[in-house]
This record gives sequence, C-alpha cells and structure tokens, in this order.
Amino acid sequence: MFKKKITSLDKSTSVEILIKRPDKYREIENFSLQADNLITMGGCNSYTPASFKKDKLSLLFSKFDRIINFDKSNKTITVEAGIKLSDLLNFTLKHQLWLPQIPGYPSVTLGGAIATNTHGKSSDTHGTIKNQIKSISIFHKTHGWMNLSSDINKEIFDLTIGGFGLTGTIVSVELKLIEILGYDFTTKIEKVSSAKDAVKKICSRDLSNIFSYSWNKTSNKKNFGEGLIFNNKFNDNKKNLKIDKMYFKDSNIHNHFFLNLWNKYSIKLLQNVYYNYFNIYKKEIINDNFKKVMFPYSGKETYFHMYGRKGFIESQILVPLSKIDIFLDELGYLMDAYEPEIVLFSIKKIIGEELFLRFENTGICFTFDFSKKDKNLNFLDKLDVLCIKHKLKPSIVKDSRLNSNTVQNCYNGFENFRKTLLDFDNKKIYRSELSDRIGI
Amino acid sequence: MNYLIVGASSGLGRDLAYTLSKDANNLTLISRDIRDLNVIKSDIESLYQTKVNTYSVDLASTTSVVTFLNNKEIEFSLLDGVLFPIGMMSDKDFITGLNDNAEKINNANFLSIVKFVEKITPIFKKKNNGLIIGFSSVASSLGRNKNIIYSASKRALNSYFESLLATFKNNNINIQFYILGYLDTNLAFDEKLILPKASTKQLAFKVFKNMKKNNIKKFYPKWWGLISYCISLIPFFAIKKLFNFIK
Repeated sequence: MFKKKITSLDKSTSVEILIKRPDKYREIENFSLQADNLITMGGCNSYTPASFKKDKLSLLFSKFDRIINFDKSNKTITVEAGIKLSDLLNFTLKHQLWLPQIPGYPSVTLGGAIATNTHGKSSDTHGTIKNQIKSISIFHKTHGWMNLSSDINKEIFDLTIGGFGLTGTIVSVELKLIEILGYDFTTKIEKVSSAKDAVKKICSRDLSNIFSYSWNKTSNKKNFGEGLIFNNKFNDNKKNLKIDKMYFKDSNIHNHFFLNLWNKYSIKLLQNVYYNYFNIYKKEIINDNFKKVMFPYSGKETYFHMYGRKGFIESQILVPLSKIDIFLDELGYLMDAYEPEIVLFSIKKIIGEELFLRFENTGICFTFDFSKKDKNLNFLDKLDVLCIKHKLKPSIVKDSRLNSNTVQNCYNGFENFRKTLLDFDNKKIYRSELSDRIGI
Repeated sequence: MNYLIVGASSGLGRDLAYTLSKDANNLTLISRDIRDLNVIKSDIESLYQTKVNTYSVDLASTTSVVTFLNNKEIEFSLLDGVLFPIGMMSDKDFITGLNDNAEKINNANFLSIVKFVEKITPIFKKKNNGLIIGFSSVASSLGRNKNIIYSASKRALNSYFESLLATFKNNNINIQFYILGYLDTNLAFDEKLILPKASTKQLAFKVFKNMKKNNIKKFYPKWWGLISYCISLIPFFAIKKLFNFIK
C-alpha cells in the first residue's frame, strides 16, 4: 500500500500514512473492510491533523464529487461528500440557489465541512452547516451502509455532524438550499476603537448584512482591538445578474517560506498598512464580487507561507454573550502579562445550540493566529485555563495544541460524545491524530 | 451523436463520459457496478442535460457480456461509436497466483472487446459509418513477472486492433487505437513508478479531439512510443536485465 508523508496545514504534525483513493463504491467497501483503522480525507485543508493518523489508512475521497439528485422546485440537492464547496456553488448558483455556510477556502470538501460542522461567515444569520443537512449516507466498516437523518438513526446523524469523521465515511449528503438574492455584494466598512466596541457593533448590526465580521489590530496595547468591521450585503442594484463560473488555481496553501516572517515589527507594519489602506484609500462602501467575499483566503496563501516551516496556531474561542465582558477583561490582562505576538485577530457572532463536540452556541467567536514562539505558546496555555474557568469553547478543529483535559472541561457534551461513539463503534475503527489527542 | 463507453465507471472511461457529454453527445455507459454508473448518469444529466443510459455488465464474464449484447431493448443501431477504455488488473496476476483469474482478466481486457466489436461492426458496415476506439497499455511491450495475463491480453488487443485497422482501412469505419503509459488512475495510484503519470482528463480531451481523424494508432504520453520502439530493438539478453525494473 502507498505510504505518504503528510503534514497538517498548521505544520503541527508530520507523519507517514497509508493512503488509498477509491473511485468506485465497491472500493469504499473493500478498502474500509481491509483496514484495522481508517479515516476519510477530503481536501486535507484542516489546520489540525483531522484526516490522517500515523501508519493508518486515509481514504482520499476526491473522486466522489458528483451530483446524485437535484430538485430545483424543492430546493434540495444530493451530492457526494468529496465535492469541493466551490464546485457545489458553481452548480447551485446557476439555479439561483446556494449554501451560505462556506469556509474561507474553496477546496474544502462538503464532507469535511460536515465533519467539522463548519460555520462560515454568515454564522450569525444562517447558523452552522447543520441547518442545511437533510440526510447523510455513510459507510462504516462494521455497520455497512447507513442512512442518517433526524428521523432515521438520529443519534448517529447528530454524532456525524461535527463528529470529525469518526462515525464512518460520509459518502453522500442531501442538502436544503437557500435562494440567493444576487451575486454581488456591497461591503460597508466601519471603524471600531477596541475589541469591546467591535463586539457591541457586531451584536447590534443591521440585519440586512448577511456577513459581519471584524479585523482587529493587536499591536496597539492602548487600544487593543482597534480595527474594522466588514459588513457584506447583497448589492441591491445588481440583483439577479448572471454569475460567471468561479475558477481557482490549484491550491498551494501547504507551501511555506523557510523562515517565519511574522514578528512584532512585521505584524505592526503590516497591520498598520492594512488598516490605513481601508481607512484612507478605500471608500466606506465598496462593491465586492461573490468569489472574493466567499473565499477571502483564495489567492492570499502567502499569509500562511509567511509562518515558515514551523507553521502557525489558530485559536478560535466561542464565548457566550453573558461572558463577553469578563473574557475581554481577562484577555487584556493576559495580553499585558505575556505580550503575545498576535498576527490576526477577528471577531464574529455565531448562533446555535450546544451538542456533543460541535463548535456551536450563541455567542461571539474570537479568532487569533500566532506563530509558534514560546511566549505565544505560554499565552495560549493561559488562554486554555481561561476557557476552562469560564466554560468557553476552544475550536477543536483549529487548534492543534488542545489536549483532552481542556476539551473535556470546556465541552459539556464531551462524555456524551465519547460514550455514544463507543456504543456505536467499540473498536474505535475510525480515528485520526486529532481524535487520539483529545482522547475520544 | 450516440456513443457506447465500455468500462465507464472510473478512470479514463469516466472522464471520456464527461468530455463527450460536454459536446452534447448521448451516452450508453456500461460497467460492473450499477451504483457508480447511476451516479455518473445523474451528475452528467444535471450538468449537461444530455441523455445517459446505464447497464451493469461484468466484462470479466462472457455470459454477462453475451446477455447484454443480446438484449433486444438496447438499440445498437443508433450508435455512432464505441469506446473501450477498460483495463482490469489483479494482485493475483502472477504465475502461481492465478487460479481462475486468468480467464477473467483476459475476458475483461480482450475477449469482451472482441464480442462487442463482433456485434457492432455489421451495424456500422450497414450504416457505412462508425467509430471504434480501443485502449491498450505499454505493459503489452514486454513480458513481466507480475500482471502477466494483463500484459498478455493487452498484447493480444494490440494485434486485434491492428487487424481491425487492416480490415477497415478503405472503409468508413474509423478504427482508433491508443497505447497508454502510466495514467493517474486507481490502477496506478498506490504504485511508486519510475515515470510520471498522465492525467486521464487530458487524455479524454485528446481522444475527443482526435475522433474525426481516420484510423490512428497513438501512444499517450507520446514519449512512451519512443520507449516501446527502443525496447523492441533491444536484444533479449539485455531485456532480461530490464526485468528487475518492470512492474
């Protein structure tokens, strides 16, 4: 069998794995039945090693990317889970329909988005991808083919959405699509004086904005979180225009420069350049196209390359609305005490309900990107303590450092997830580096 | 136009189905597993609004092939062309591992194609028009200690298609034959090969572009033609040394 060295996007894990690429249904069955342990691999775009495990089999699912059924009148589509979200959108947009819960990179697959219960940029309007899923078909080594929905095998259905691929291979999915009002956006840019100000403005946003998220500076200690809010809404003047097919170059997101170019000077310089570019040169309201708004990371892979061969850490923390003030106060204290170098800081709102290990609740999602320096790692350790203390949710699929203790203490559904999964698959056939690390 | 693709569920066959559909051709697709074909059918019909029929036929079984060819519901007379992008390999394809696999491998790679051509050539002759495209492998250039029946059946296919070219050289039946090097298919996905794998999508497009050309035999990628020619010139005592490198 083919052995391949593979590295997670954040460069935290680099291991040799066995890899197979089925392209027939019987091959999904045969390859799964032959393996002791396995996990399914979509686009391999997760920051963390969620789709592979050392010396174990990964089923590369790229050949399962087809449309099984499309019902325009009922706005439903059934597709294979290996389809890239950009390809799915290229098809549905032709029919004035879409799936709004889209992560920032076009080569993310539908299966990957479901296994992580992705929330996209419109999480305050549409919630997570869970809300669009009608049914799922999986193949499991011991249970065989299973149909899952809120009526059939509900428990496994719930376990599969945001279940990191541990319930088997997600083969196909029936989705509820949403009518789209237009293909172009206007982006209104608002200035914010601090992180608290950003939270306040995002929470009281104009509801016609379907996306609202901030970009905040971290280099100014006095005004930590001073920055910009981007509010996207459909362009009223350009409704119902035809959309051109979106094309993307082959992904080079896994490349890196030899050295880490992010340090306190480059962070300060580039944050000021970015801030002033929008503040001085750009108008308050600008026109944006669909591709640029939906896939902001596409074409900007240099951002990741600049972290060098050691890679980066992204910490994403979901804070309930009632705990925002205390979180920001204590975060400010930790910032003063540990002086971390935060390359990217962003804020958005998420709506939803807690279940199992889903990164979902109604609250504010804070995102921080760091290079792997000791002082940043120390700061992150303290941030974990803060999460445990206030029962805040750190994103499991973003942060490769998180250990079992942190996850257990932050996720109320941890034990329930572990027990339900063990009842379903007592041999733990489907596992990854991520699942082993967090102890499930 | 109406085309029959034999072995359409994956690899080159699948890419040929999409390439021909983009050009608004109607397709009949056959392969062993109807599940794969039905998904390709629904995908193509959603994307390109062309008509696709699918049939489950086990090409390794003569009975299954004959039953399909005698199926009166299938209108072979409407076909304008038949493509055979089929290749079956087995990890038991070595001298002492074969058991009853030799017959299956030979059927899938050679004899089932012969049966199809037997059925279709009288129809094409009657129409005075038709296209038959076969696909062999560079494995046919040389014997080996693995994939022995596969390479033998592909060598038989080479000879058979040369005979077809000879038979129909002054006729409107267009015979095309490709000898393929390493392709990025599942047959080669987990193999560490000494030369790069070519894209099946690009090959499918090349085949589509060549469909109007008359009676061709081509290597793909091209440089495999040179390698095959060189192998044919090497004396056998030197060939024996090569066996260490051939998979």
